[in-house]
Parts: sequence; structure tokens; C-alpha cells
Amino acid sequence: MRIATDIGGTFTDLVYFNYNNKNKELTNVKVSKSSTTPNEFEKGILNAIEKIGLDLSTIEFFAHGTTVVINAITERKGSKTALFTTKGFRDVLEIARGTRPDLYNFNFKKEAPFVERYLRQEVDERINYLGEVISPLNSDNVDSLLNYFVSEGVESIAICLIHAYKNPIHEKQLGALIKKKYPNIEVITSHEVTREWREYERTSSTVLSAYVKPITTKYLNNLTHNLQKLGYKNNLYIMQSNGGITTVEDVKANPITLIESGPASGVLGAVVLGRTIEKKNLIVLDIGGTTAKCSLIENGTPKIVTTYNIEKTKTKAGFPILTPVIDIVEIGNGGGSIAWLDDGGKMRVGPKSAGAIPGPSSYGKGGQNFTTTDANVVCNRIHRNYFLGGELTPDFNNIERAAKSLCNELNMSLAEMARGVIRVANSNMVNALKSVSVNKGYDPRDFSLIVIGGGGPMHGAYLANDLQIPEVIVPLNAGVFSAFGMLMSDLRRDYIRTDVMDLIADNFSRLNGVFKEMKDEAIEAYERDLYQKDNIIFEYHLDLRYDGQEHSVKLKLTDLNNLQIDVIERDFHQLHQKRYAFSLSDTKIEIVNYHLVAEVIVNKPIIVKVESKRSSIDDALITYEDVDFDESGIHNSKFYDRDKLEPGMVEQGPAIIVEQSTSTVVPPSHQFTIDDYANIIITKIEQK
Amino acid sequence: MSLNKFTSDIIQDSLISIGEAMFETIQRTSMSPIIYEALDYAVGITDGEGRLLAQGNGVITFLAAMSLVVEETLKRFGDNNPLKEGDVIIANTPYLGGGTHLSDIAIITPIFYKKERVAFTVNKAHWTDIGGTNPGSVSTVSTEIYQEGIHFPFIKVREEGKINDAVLKMLEANVRLPKSTSGDLFSGIAANDVGAERIIKLIDKYGLKAYKQAAKEFMEYGERISLKELQKIPNGTYENTGYIENDGFGNGPFPIKLKIIIKDNEMVCDFTGTHKQLKGPLNLSRTGLETAVRAAFKSITTPTLPANNGSFKHVKLICPENTVVSANSPAPISVYYEVFLAAIDLLLKTLGPIVPEKLPAGHFRSVCVTYISGLHPVTNEFYVQAEPLSGGWGANAFNDGNRGQFSYSHGESYNIPAETRERKYGVMVEEYCFHNEGGGYGEFQGGNGQYLVFKVLSKEAFLTGAFLGYSIPTWGLNEGYDGSYNYFTVIRTDGSEEKYNVVTNIKLNKGDRVKLVTATGGGYGNPDKRPIKKIKKDIKNGYITEEQALNNYKHFSNEVIKS
Repeated sequence: MRIATDIGGTFTDLVYFNYNNKNKELTNVKVSKSSTTPNEFEKGILNAIEKIGLDLSTIEFFAHGTTVVINAITERKGSKTALFTTKGFRDVLEIARGTRPDLYNFNFKKEAPFVERYLRQEVDERINYLGEVISPLNSDNVDSLLNYFVSEGVESIAICLIHAYKNPIHEKQLGALIKKKYPNIEVITSHEVTREWREYERTSSTVLSAYVKPITTKYLNNLTHNLQKLGYKNNLYIMQSNGGITTVEDVKANPITLIESGPASGVLGAVVLGRTIEKKNLIVLDIGGTTAKCSLIENGTPKIVTTYNIEKTKTKAGFPILTPVIDIVEIGNGGGSIAWLDDGGKMRVGPKSAGAIPGPSSYGKGGQNFTTTDANVVCNRIHRNYFLGGELTPDFNNIERAAKSLCNELNMSLAEMARGVIRVANSNMVNALKSVSVNKGYDPRDFSLIVIGGGGPMHGAYLANDLQIPEVIVPLNAGVFSAFGMLMSDLRRDYIRTDVMDLIADNFSRLNGVFKEMKDEAIEAYERDLYQKDNIIFEYHLDLRYDGQEHSVKLKLTDLNNLQIDVIERDFHQLHQKRYAFSLSDTKIEIVNYHLVAEVIVNKPIIVKVESKRSSIDDALITYEDVDFDESGIHNSKFYDRDKLEPGMVEQGPAIIVEQSTSTVVPPSHQFTIDDYANIIITKIEQK
Repeated sequence: MSLNKFTSDIIQDSLISIGEAMFETIQRTSMSPIIYEALDYAVGITDGEGRLLAQGNGVITFLAAMSLVVEETLKRFGDNNPLKEGDVIIANTPYLGGGTHLSDIAIITPIFYKKERVAFTVNKAHWTDIGGTNPGSVSTVSTEIYQEGIHFPFIKVREEGKINDAVLKMLEANVRLPKSTSGDLFSGIAANDVGAERIIKLIDKYGLKAYKQAAKEFMEYGERISLKELQKIPNGTYENTGYIENDGFGNGPFPIKLKIIIKDNEMVCDFTGTHKQLKGPLNLSRTGLETAVRAAFKSITTPTLPANNGSFKHVKLICPENTVVSANSPAPISVYYEVFLAAIDLLLKTLGPIVPEKLPAGHFRSVCVTYISGLHPVTNEFYVQAEPLSGGWGANAFNDGNRGQFSYSHGESYNIPAETRERKYGVMVEEYCFHNEGGGYGEFQGGNGQYLVFKVLSKEAFLTGAFLGYSIPTWGLNEGYDGSYNYFTVIRTDGSEEKYNVVTNIKLNKGDRVKLVTATGGGYGNPDKRPIKKIKKDIKNGYITEEQALNNYKHFSNEVIKS
């Protein structure tokens, strides 16, 4: 049996999967939910285990996705952290990049750095951009600074020295010195976090990793200890932001890799589903209560970026983190997003959300605001008897109350206003979907749209229409999709290094040298966790740019043994053309970063087809009712119970498919098919 | 009201999102660091007549430029020489059409839908070098525009889809960095094409009628909100004077006169009485002044909303011709940005007391740009390092001033990291930190200015820079104290130090150090009201010294004496 746990804002989900040991086929999937316990997340997991009386000694694989890192940062609940920098660079963290995205607001307030100035101190040393030591590390003042830090209650120390990405020797020396003197203080050096250049970004990443190191270590130690007490004997695996899992020890060394642990597993779920149903190009859309997240998967592989920025908005600079993260675009547009009119009378939806408490006005729990969910209820796209899994009946009086001021100001009926809210919400999501596809040179017509989360299936068909995406997939078990992704993912470690050189055949041996160093590092790390060298699969990427440019694009190398300069050049020109609409064929190309992916494939179950009981689609029919499809009109539509739909069934819209956690909208001129794995596939019926 | 309203809203939002895609294209592909790091560029979409529909901008300096440059294009390509599908116009005329200085190149692409001109995509970016007497095309001692680089007076760089090779060759032959300059040209053309393609798809989807309706409503929307906000500001006439300290030849200071009249439905900014245009390049064109006025108006009316022509309908600029803020040909103009900042600073200083909750005390009031050129010590390649510097901002009614932030004329600008700088230019950075040269005391303390010190490793190099604010400090507001000064020094290998403010081509030798200093911002409110706890924290953090605190915060020194 295998277990995955996913800690959300409200609930902690524990999903366990039974499978046949011989043919590895999944036999059943079960869920246990408990309330999330914000100050001690591990308790929620233990509660979920206890709730169903699980015997952990029978579990062979336990994977865990956690928000402990991102919560500690956004709530500023990390540890008191100090920073060592190269002499002269004390204020890099606070100067940041000097940016002010809120252009016309001269009262702009810059965000406070995570380490105050008195805890940012300098050491005398210098390495140049070639990696040469210009002045050796002078540690004369380190002792007294350490004593000062301890007297100030510092629990964690970050070290980021200039050009350490190129030559980390001084960081290693200083780190060792501190560990020797104060073994109880957490220490992390920048080259352990990233070996990319740009001192502010690297300092910020190192500081944030140091900031969450004590809390993450404590949490993981507690969790491991408690699981062992309950009889669990194997490794605990943690989901990272890069879409792979890794060991607890690895995470504790550099916890910032967990920053997007949760969302990454949702994308991984889509990858696994795509593999199963043989769809390799997917756009994933996850609409939750507060936000919508989207991501693109090309040829079965999600896009990984190495620069992530937390708390960046249109008016805030945020804090950069150099760590591999699945490229996810998130916008403040979920089911609970509030509709409002700005000063000029323009309709806006989100980013403010009614959240879970009080929730949308339809919940009748004190929600005063009209939300996207309410609009879907008004249009009867969510059936009143199946609202929130049938646990609640929408409060129509409260909806009308919440809608009143909007209707008055717009001089519209409730139905018209509700259609408008859905249109605006859809437009917001279309723009987000474009930013991961069209804006990056991908044609949505080459992709399928996978919709998950409570809101995804309600909006999917409309969004696909807008982007000319040929089909929408509403997966089975969409509710446990993230946990599913976690169980199906492999061990993964990313190594990135800046080493700028011309892309010429003469440099191939240097190139091989850089990759070899990184491979040795990867092998050593895996062997520490008792994995065999032979089981590691390597993937090689280069970040390339035209000479003179600053930004680069990532190119995957197919084979390191047989590098051909003309092939790499051609591929880069093509990639640049695709991404930016032009290429410069006679301009020199530069290598900026080397990116090595090292994976170890773990033993995983296989998803099996759902057997049809050969019942009739009419058995799944619940009722006929009017549904408002906006521009396609109001139609008497069939409502189906998803649990009773079986593989092979095909039916034309308009229809609404109802299930516990969501409602799938099939507009007129569309049809749905239930595939072999019981996924719903929605396609447009071509007009003849 | 009909549901078409939502279609208009959606089209407007889609145009903004198209602007963002154009913006990103330039950032990711350009070859001038001042574009991809300082984001010294803007992109825009206008309707077929040049009215701004959407703008993605990294800096404030191009706020008015997007629509004005298209309007000028339309004037120049009339019926006898019409714009055609596939054309691209290039322009850097400083004196009109949203012009600034020759280094800022506008690229303008008309977009046709079924033969009808329906929109323009446009962008304007600062290319590192455009030729002329000095590397970086900026000099503090030029006396005519002809010394400041190559001039494109609205010409077609692409005609009906075909690149004009003659123009390209002329460009490459007249600049110091031909490869990266033509790279920037292609990056700009590509960004406009990216926008054009999306706009055509947008019209395909919603129809031309809905698109035009959306454009019209968008203008009305901008106008409506800005008027509503203007009416909240008390009527009156407010006067003030600012100064340009130096014309590049050591003459000055020269006054800029401003009278702001606020009425129910209009804000008038009258610069009558301002000094005539200067001999040196510290001149601003009227079209550049238009941006300063619009930016100030926007900051007190609709700072958070997207800009469009409608939002500026209720602000009016009055200024006689041929002044330091309305210069005409052949006035040199390459250092226009210092005058632009002086103008915007004067506008905000005049408005600040009227809307104290919206505007801060004075900031360091200079772009503090330096240009350093030489041969790279390792690769021997010619380089021009052009960069603005961040500095101290004024405190406001709610917070202390920001430290380490670029000037008013910037926005989404990024400094050049030491680690990339050292590789690209072969200098070595020795200090990049805040100083405590004092000033800015108040209930809210002005933000510290900073030092950037680097050592030259080339055999020789040349330094050009213009730091105004070297003799007039940043100003305090509501009893807050003034801040400090901008300046720079060269420290020779023998230890001697030379102090500069506005200067061209100082020769530097290997081992010389350049120390750039930006001012601390002005304070806000009476220093007596600053809580002791905050003063102590500032001392602990080294933002001010204990001595400065004792001398400037009376209640603090009283307490220290008592204990």
C-alpha cells in the first residue's frame, strides 16, 4: 500500500492506494480527510491516519507534500536569521534591484528585507568573476560577529559571497567555521542553494532558505519520528517544487526547494494522466476557491523554471528565489472571487475572495459579496440539490441581496449580471492560459485542456472555445489529483550552474567537464541516500542566448556523447524564433547556465481501465432543467450523475454532469464522451 | 445597459495583456543592458488615430510618448505617402512627437484589418549607443544636436514587409556597437509584430464594431475617473520655482517657474517665466515636459489605473517655446532626463502640500547616470557601461523614505548586478551599500542614499556623468529636514580624490576608483515626533549615527543626557 498526503489551507488529505503486487494495477483509492492544524501540521496528518485506523507497518511508500515553507514565509513566521556577505555588499539584500513596479504611486513602500541591517555583516574576502581568489578569507572578525548574533537570538545563518557560484571555497570555509563553533545554529551557504549568478537573487534565495530551515527541520523530524512510532519503516519522501520527490535529509539541507510543493503535484497528476491516456501536450487548469493556476506540459514534460518570485504582483517587487519550480501562472480568480465595479464602473472579478468563511453569498453563511460561484448558481450550472456535494442548498435570497448593488449600478437583471461575471472571470482565465501558451510560442490547438479543482470543469469548455483548444478532459478523481501526482512521481534533483562561454565546438570538452562535475555531485548525493549510481537517469539542458542578450532560453541536449555544433545552433535558432518571433542566424551564441536533471525512477502502480457495466446513459439521468448558457441561450438541459456514467457513453450537450466536488458544464454544440478510464472528454461538434 | 458592456471590458483587458506580451518580448531579447535591466523602454497600443489604448511601461519617461509619436507619424504620412500594411517606422526626433533624446528610438507599426487601419503597436527604447561624439551618445558638453548621434526623422525601416537595407546599413555604420544595436532594432520590430498578430485575432473574435466601441468606452472611462479624482483636490493657484544647477559649462543655476491652477474640471501647469534653453545638453523638449505633467497628474488622480488618452483630458500644459523645458532644434538635449526629473520634482513639490497623503518629501532627484567606456581588460572588446543609480527617497505621511530605489522617472527598473557587471565590463565593485552622510530627519526619516564604488581594471577608460542635486539638497516636507546631495569622485591610485557633478570624458587609468554617491531623501514631519524607539533602532542598524541623532533629535539627546 502507498500513501500520499497533501496539506491544504483547510483540509489535510490523506490518500491511500492499494495495488496488486503482481501486475502493479491499482485496485482501489481511498481518502481520509482531517482539518489542517496550522501550527503543527504533522498533527493533521496523524489525525487523518488515526481516523481510519491505518497500520503504518504495512505501508511501503509514504509521500508528502507540504506548505510549511511557503506558509512560514508569507506569514513571516520563520526564524531569526543573520547574513554574512562579502565586504562592501552588506546592503545588497535591502537595495534589492531598486525596482518600483507601482509606477505612478510615489508613496510606494518597498518591502522590508528578511534580515535587518544589524544582522547583515561583512567578511573580508574576494573572488573575481573568473573564480580567482583576489583576497583570501580573513576570519578575524567572525568570532565576535557570531557572539553578537547569538546574543541577539539568531537561530539561522545565511552566507552569500560574491562569485561563489563560480568558486565556493570561501563559503565552504566560513560555513565549516561556524558549524564548528556553533553546531546548534543552522547554517546555509549560497552555493548549496543555487550556483547561478546575480548576487541579489542568490542572497535572497539563501536568506529565505535559512529563514525556514529551523522550522522545516523541526517539522520533518517530528513527522518522521511520529510515523516511525506508528510503525512506518521506510523512507519518507517529500514533494519538491521541481515536480520530483526527494528524501527528508535532502530537503533539510535546502528547504527552499519545497516552496511550491503543493501545486507541483497537481501538474504531476496531469502528466501521469496524460501518459496513461496517451496525450502528451496538455494545458492544466486548476480552479480553486481563491485562485486559478495554469501550467503547460509539452511532450509529456512540464516546464521547469529556475527563477521563482514570491509575493510579486503588478505593484510589488516580491522576493526572488533561485530554485527549480514547475512553471505555474497563478491569478486571483477562483470560485470565491468577488465581483465588483471599479471607480470607472468597470466590472472586475477577484483577486479578493470570499474564502471558505464566510464563503460566496450562496452559502448563506454571512457572505455579503457576489462571487463567480454565485453566478454559476444563478445560471443553474450548479444544481441546487447538488450544491457542495448536496450538503447545502444555495441561499437564493442572500444571492439576490449580494447582487443588488451591482445590478442597480449596472442597470441589469440578476441573470444578465451573472452572465457578465462569468464572462469577465473567463476572460481573466483566458489571459492567464495565453500567458503559458500563446505568449511563449505555443499554439493551443496542439493541446488538450485538463481541468481540475472545484471550478475547472464548470468553465473548461468556454475557455477551450476561446483558445481553440480541441478538447477538454475532466479527470476521474479530480479531487485527489495532487496526491495522485505525488504517488506517481520519481526522485528528482536539479543542478544548475552559471559558467558563461561561447557555444563553439572547441568548448565541448569544457562543457562535458562542467556536466561531469555536476553528475559527480548528484551521484554522491544519491549514494548518501543509498541509491545506486546505475539507477540514475540524467538529462542535460543548456541556457543559451545570443551574444549581447541578457536573458536565455533553455535547450535540452539529446545526447552528451555525440554533440554536434550545427544541430545545437539550429535548435537554438528555432527555439528563439518560436519563443520570440525572430532569430539572428549570424550572431554568436553563448552558454550561460548548465542544468542537469538527475532522476531515479521508483516502483509505481499502473492506472487501470474502468470496466463498463453496460448500463444505459438514461440510468444516469437525474433531471431536465433550464440552464443559462449566456450567448448560446437558455436551454432545457439534461443533468447526469457522474458516478453512473460509464466508459463508451457519448451524449450531446447541453448537459450538466454532477459529482461530489464539482459540476461539469457541457454547452450546446458540444458533446461529451466517457473514455476507458472514466474521464469525461468534451469536444465541440463541428457545424456542417 | 446591455451585455456589450462586458465585451468592451474584456477587449480592454485583452489589449492590456497584449501590451504585456510585447513588453516581455523586448525585455527578453534586447541587447542593450539599459533596456533589459533598467527597462528603459515602453510599449503601447493605440487606435488607428493614435489614441492610447494600452501601455506596458517600465519607466515613467515615456508616458506621453506612445500616443504622441503615433500622432506625429500620422501627420508625416498623409495621403500622398500613406502607411501600408507591413510598414514599420523608426523615429528618434527629440523635439516633438513624444521625443526625449536621440538615444530613445521609437518603432511604430500600423495595423490593418481588411485594408482598414485599426491600430498601431509602438515601442520606444533606450539604445546604448546611437553614435555622435561620445560613447553612449551622451555628453554634458555638446552644443548642438548633431554631436549627439544619428537622427531618424520618422522613416520607414520596413516597407510592406521588406526591411530597408539602406537604413540598416546606415545605422550599423554610424554606431559604436553595430551588432547589439541592430539586435535591439529587430527586438523592437518583433515586439510590435507580436502585438499586431494578437490584435488582429482579437478583432477576428469580437468584430471590428465591438473593438471600436471598446476603444471609445476606454477613453471615456479614463476621463471619467480622473475627473472624479481631480474634483477631490482643493481649487487654487500654487506657485513654485525649481533650478537646473548647471548647463554643462559651469553656468547656472537656471530657474524653472511653475504655476499650477486647479479648477473644478482642469489642472493647468504653466511654466511661463522659465529660463531660455541652455547652451549645453541639459534641455527638455516640450513633448518631454508633457510626460512630466501627465505623470504628476496621474500620480494624484489615478495612480493605479491603466493610462489612456482619456485620463489626460483634464490636464493642460502652458509653456512658451525655446525654454529649458521646451527646447527646439538645434539645442543639444542628450541629458534631458535631469531636466525631466527637475520638472517632475517641481510639480510634486508644488502639489505635495495640497495632497500630503499622496506625495512624499523630495527624493534624490537625479537619474545619476554614468557612462564608462573602454576596452575590456580580459577580452579586449570595446564596452560602454551605461547605468542609472538608485538612491534615497523622501519620507511621507505614513512611512520612512525608501532606501536604494531608482528615481521618479524610473519604475520597473533593475540595477546591474555586480556579478554580471564584472564579467561584462571588467570593472571590480568594491562597495555597494547605504551611506549615512546625514539629513532627512523628521517624524518619518528620509531614506538613505548609497555608495557604489568600483575599480577600473582596463588600461584606460573614460567617465561621463551628470548628477544634479549636488548643491541643492533633497527637500523635507511638513517640518521634516532636508536630506543630502548627489555627487561622484574619482580616487586615483595615489590616494588623491577629485569631486565631480556634471562632466564629460574624465580619463581613468587602471586601478583608479570611481565612487558614485546618491543623496538621502527629505524627512517628513517634525523630528520631535519621531518615537525614541525608532531612533534607537536606526542607530543600531547604522542608518544614522548616534552623533547625528543627538544633534537632530532633541528629545533623544535630552533622554540620553538624563540617563
